[in-house]
Amino acid sequence: MKQIPKSTWIKIRKKHLFPPLPFPKVKKGQERAALEIKDKQIYIDENFLSQISKKMQENDAIEALLDHAIAHYTFCPWDFATYLKLYAEAKKVSKNKDIAKRATDYFMDVVVDTYCVKEKESNIPSLYKYMEKGKIEQVMCALYQKIWGKDLNVSGFDELVRKLMRIPYINKKRWKEGIRRFTHILKPLLEEQIYQSASSPFGDHRSLFSKDSIDKGLMELALSSSSPQAFGELVNDFKEELQEKGFFGNEVGRGRGQESMANILYYMKLAQRYTLSLKKLPEKKSGSIYPHSHSPWEIEKPYQDIDIWTSFGKFLPGLTQVWNRREGEILYLEEKVPNCLIIIDSSGSMTDPRRNLSYAVLGAACACEAYLKHGSKVAVYNFSDAEVGGKYLLPFTQDRIAIYKSLCKYFGGGTYLRPTDIKFFECDDMDIFFITDMKISNFSDVVSYFNNIENRVTAVHIGESIHSQRFALSVSKKNNISLYHVQKREDIPKIVLGKVKEYLHQAF
Amino acid sequence: MKNPFFEFKDFRPKKREIPLDKIIASKEKVMDALIKAYDRLVEQEAKELVWLVSYHSVIRAYANAEKSIKDMQYGVEDIEEFLFEIENPSRLPYPIMGLCGLYISALCNHIKEKEIVLDLQNKNINLHLLGYRLPKGKRLIVYGDLGDFTGIGLNGGELLVEGNAGNWTGAGMRMGKIVVKKNVGRRTGEDMVGGEIYVEGKILGVGNVRYGRIYEKGGIVSP
Repeated sequence: MKQIPKSTWIKIRKKHLFPPLPFPKVKKGQERAALEIKDKQIYIDENFLSQISKKMQENDAIEALLDHAIAHYTFCPWDFATYLKLYAEAKKVSKNKDIAKRATDYFMDVVVDTYCVKEKESNIPSLYKYMEKGKIEQVMCALYQKIWGKDLNVSGFDELVRKLMRIPYINKKRWKEGIRRFTHILKPLLEEQIYQSASSPFGDHRSLFSKDSIDKGLMELALSSSSPQAFGELVNDFKEELQEKGFFGNEVGRGRGQESMANILYYMKLAQRYTLSLKKLPEKKSGSIYPHSHSPWEIEKPYQDIDIWTSFGKFLPGLTQVWNRREGEILYLEEKVPNCLIIIDSSGSMTDPRRNLSYAVLGAACACEAYLKHGSKVAVYNFSDAEVGGKYLLPFTQDRIAIYKSLCKYFGGGTYLRPTDIKFFECDDMDIFFITDMKISNFSDVVSYFNNIENRVTAVHIGESIHSQRFALSVSKKNNISLYHVQKREDIPKIVLGKVKEYLHQAF
Repeated sequence: MKNPFFEFKDFRPKKREIPLDKIIASKEKVMDALIKAYDRLVEQEAKELVWLVSYHSVIRAYANAEKSIKDMQYGVEDIEEFLFEIENPSRLPYPIMGLCGLYISALCNHIKEKEIVLDLQNKNINLHLLGYRLPKGKRLIVYGDLGDFTGIGLNGGELLVEGNAGNWTGAGMRMGKIVVKKNVGRRTGEDMVGGEIYVEGKILGVGNVRYGRIYEKGGIVSP
């Protein structure tokens, strides 16, 4: 097996201003691609290296390949968020995920190679000159000839090149419009080549990213997406890669589960944007007494409380010390955040979280995130017409996926809440978040239930109705119930978070 | 005191230039000129950012467009690039589709090249008035759909639309040929005084044709 000379790696690292990447390896590859990059580890294909070293210096080829690979981390795409942005633009033009992926790969290669040639005095042109080329690679080389001013032994494709060479590849600010134009120009050729060979000669770029980078990228995508559907569509294009990184469960790719999974990811990433500093709630006094401080021993005092260590083994009044005991006044008193029960209305009058961004779900998700972060458990009661089975009960759990799944469920039927269902969750230390539009058929049952519980309840209702006024009136004397009337649905997450903050910062 | 950075005096980041820099710079120069000329046209014709199509407003706007691009050096790629800019609000904040169509028509009519190919596919724009007064000897091929008033006042040129065209297609054309591969809207060929319109799809409605011929799916529908 060939080895990469240490001096070459030192030289390349210096050239690229010491990127934090591990020492690259040579690997026997089964694929056509010359490079493979997985979680920052660069692998150079041994077969490719043997082939190319017949035509050029092996060290020069290694340098060129490393230049290319490192520039993907230091310049383009830099992170998964940028990659997704570029891909989204390519998809808008191509309307096909395979073409969009290929176009993104080629575009990023042009960007990094041009960057290396311009800024880093790279041997990449020699590599392109001597490597085997398919039709698209020939077009790329014809483009490089024009924009780098180097001879790469390619001719033809004038019309395509005339259009491609007008794109400002090095200008980061114009990558979005650049990739749109790039995809538009190359689309016929990419369509023609779609069933042939691997994508770029330097491999695809989907395995470049670490889990953290993917996490951040998804978060940014969730923020910039117009709807959960748009997010889901884009995320599903990368389901294999995301599955590999553990972002999806096993159910991906099977009918409705797919859509639902993308939704969960969408709300999860959006909710994780809301951060809250939390203070833990002290637990109740246990009733036991613990040693607290010392006092001098006197004759009448019991022997069993003598602390022999501080009394130096002596039984002398005034010198010997006894322990004073106090109830629960110990330094290691355990503190705990209460559990949280989310009661969420998913009747027909509420927004369907799969179609549009549901602020009710997002608000609930924010509350869940805050409680989960502090080791508490969350239960969900998702209801529509609970009487006829339109309900979902998730017992207290810390399983984030299960929680989001139950929040994202949408029944879209009538509205009937069974207080007996809530009793299923009842425990002493439990905060309740109740998000609804209050158009509940058995309204009086609900009101009487809430009037009889002592837990802290935050009820968020959307829109004005007689029901909501009645609810407000009937619970007005209860100090443990806070009622919020929401005009704008987008205020729900802020209200929920504000309330969570108040609960968890409250001194007890 | 000794300069602590003296050791680094020799380090100067080299400014390397590749041909791409020159290509982009010269292209940007042309694009800036084209965008400025278009902005001038909007200022002249659409003072309240509203432009109403009428016989006189079209003639006046076209004359102004011709004036604004006089002596300008540009190529087909620049026109195509301008089409991309229409979608980019940061550089072209007021893309009024009628004026854009007239402006691009003026650019096409005064370019050196005999054949111009514009690709509007997958672009979120609906250009009106494209092909206005296309002169004899010019061939304009458009991939994608066009809006209303396509090829009006055509003056001997050949307009090929690989897609749909809107209402009033070929209205007032004098001579030349319009070929539409898909469908056209109402009032097709209204007031045309010569030339031919070939529609390979459906014609929603034919206008009052004075002279000239209109064909639908190979069969003549007017006269």
